Amino acid sequence: MIQLENVTKVLSGRTILSNLSVTIEEGETLVLLGRSGTGKSVTLRHIVGLMQPDSGRVEVLGKSLTETSTDQLAAVRSQVGYLFQDGALLNWLSIAENVALPLLETHKLAKSEVDQRVKDALREVELDQHGDKLPGEISGGMRKRAGLARALVSHPKIVLHDEPTSGLDPISSSIINKLVNRLKTTGITQVLVTHDMNSAFEVADRIALLHEGQIHALENVDDFRDSADPAVRQFLEGQISGPLSRGLLDGSSND
Amino acid sequence: MTGWIEALGHFLGRSAETTGYGLVLLCRTILNLPHLFTRRRMRDCLNLIFTYTLGSFTVTAVVALFTGMILALNGGDSLASLGQENLIGRIVAISMIREMGPFMTALILTASLGSGIAAEIGTMKVSEEIDALEIMSISPVKFLVLPRLIALTLVTPVMTIFAAFIGILGASIVAANNFGVTWIAFSNDALENLQLGDVHIGLIKSVVFGITIATVGSTQGLLTRGGATGVGEAARRAVVITFLLVIILGYYLSWWYLS
Repeated sequence: MIQLENVTKVLSGRTILSNLSVTIEEGETLVLLGRSGTGKSVTLRHIVGLMQPDSGRVEVLGKSLTETSTDQLAAVRSQVGYLFQDGALLNWLSIAENVALPLLETHKLAKSEVDQRVKDALREVELDQHGDKLPGEISGGMRKRAGLARALVSHPKIVLHDEPTSGLDPISSSIINKLVNRLKTTGITQVLVTHDMNSAFEVADRIALLHEGQIHALENVDDFRDSADPAVRQFLEGQISGPLSRGLLDGSSND
Repeated sequence: MTGWIEALGHFLGRSAETTGYGLVLLCRTILNLPHLFTRRRMRDCLNLIFTYTLGSFTVTAVVALFTGMILALNGGDSLASLGQENLIGRIVAISMIREMGPFMTALILTASLGSGIAAEIGTMKVSEEIDALEIMSISPVKFLVLPRLIALTLVTPVMTIFAAFIGILGASIVAANNFGVTWIAFSNDALENLQLGDVHIGLIKSVVFGITIATVGSTQGLLTRGGATGVGEAARRAVVITFLLVIILGYYLSWWYLS
């Protein structure tokens, strides 16, 4: 479903991804963990074609994004939903108009169908009472849910979440986790970038730890939780010293 | 010394890159013109025309009024010393329609709308809204730049005509009160000496300036990097670059017209 093969990306002279390879199967929910600056969001941006690798290959839904035309990229993107950290809603449109935007701009649907899909998406994220409000009039958690509704309204096969629970209170985080788990039951493939360990264990099928631009560990949830790998243990236990700090302490880290 | 040369090279490289980006953006916007004729884009465009006109109306009127009055005061003073104060009408009318109207309006719209476009699109860039549009396969050129370019291309000539009219009105008041030139004498002199070409060049300039303001504002907005500081920097750059381009283009258009 999603395949990254030896992907390398250098930004402003820093190697963010270094021969990163990972395959995400259809219907799977993969959580990407790692310290800040290890390239988790950059990986997501490659999956949706917002960034092109300097070398390596990205394949999504059987199509290579590294050798694709604009139209093919648009075709792939129409099957991918992306939840941004702050929702990335357009502030002059109401929540309902934001959710309707991809349908109105890129799908030729009847108005009644657009209205119905928007209604369903807003109900899915429990925002059906807030469709008329502007993004500035609702809380951060509601904005994220509205962003998720917009990501889902086109009925995507893949949903990418960039820190879906960051900055949220525990209850709002639980609502988001519940939504992610509900999406799992529909067979949607999901990739989440998060620092929230509770969220990772609650929603993941597999967890990957990124370090120095590569997948350092990739395990199912239970194996990851019980892993004896020193880097995984350091990350899970939040220890200051350890393999993940090596670059940081000697000044050669990407952070 | 090496550092200085390096900084200059960096500046020139960056300027060339921005210029290229701006020109490509303008071409892509023009190629997207057929997309304007949809109900949603038309609605966006009309909303922007309304907002831009309303937002710049008062300041344009005040600046134009006083510019016309200053022009009449200074011109009238010099002409009065030669006993030729009855020529104020033609001087003010020609300069307001051919030069001052388009130039002054462009500066006002740059400061009020060009910087606003850069800040608005820049904020969208740093808050990932532009990325969101791209992921939804919505072209930011079609969705954001096209309506702004069309709106400004239409609003600038309208505001230029308005500014010229208000400026001439202000000048006629000064001519009557300070130099005893009647409204009839003032307007007769203005109309007799004003040529259609003067109106044409004024309108051509205003259209070019409108396109410039929208293109530079959008370019700077789309090239914004790095949070709130980047947005402020984008707005500042948009104003500075547009001011320079308006003056340079204004000169060459005048030169072209006169030659």
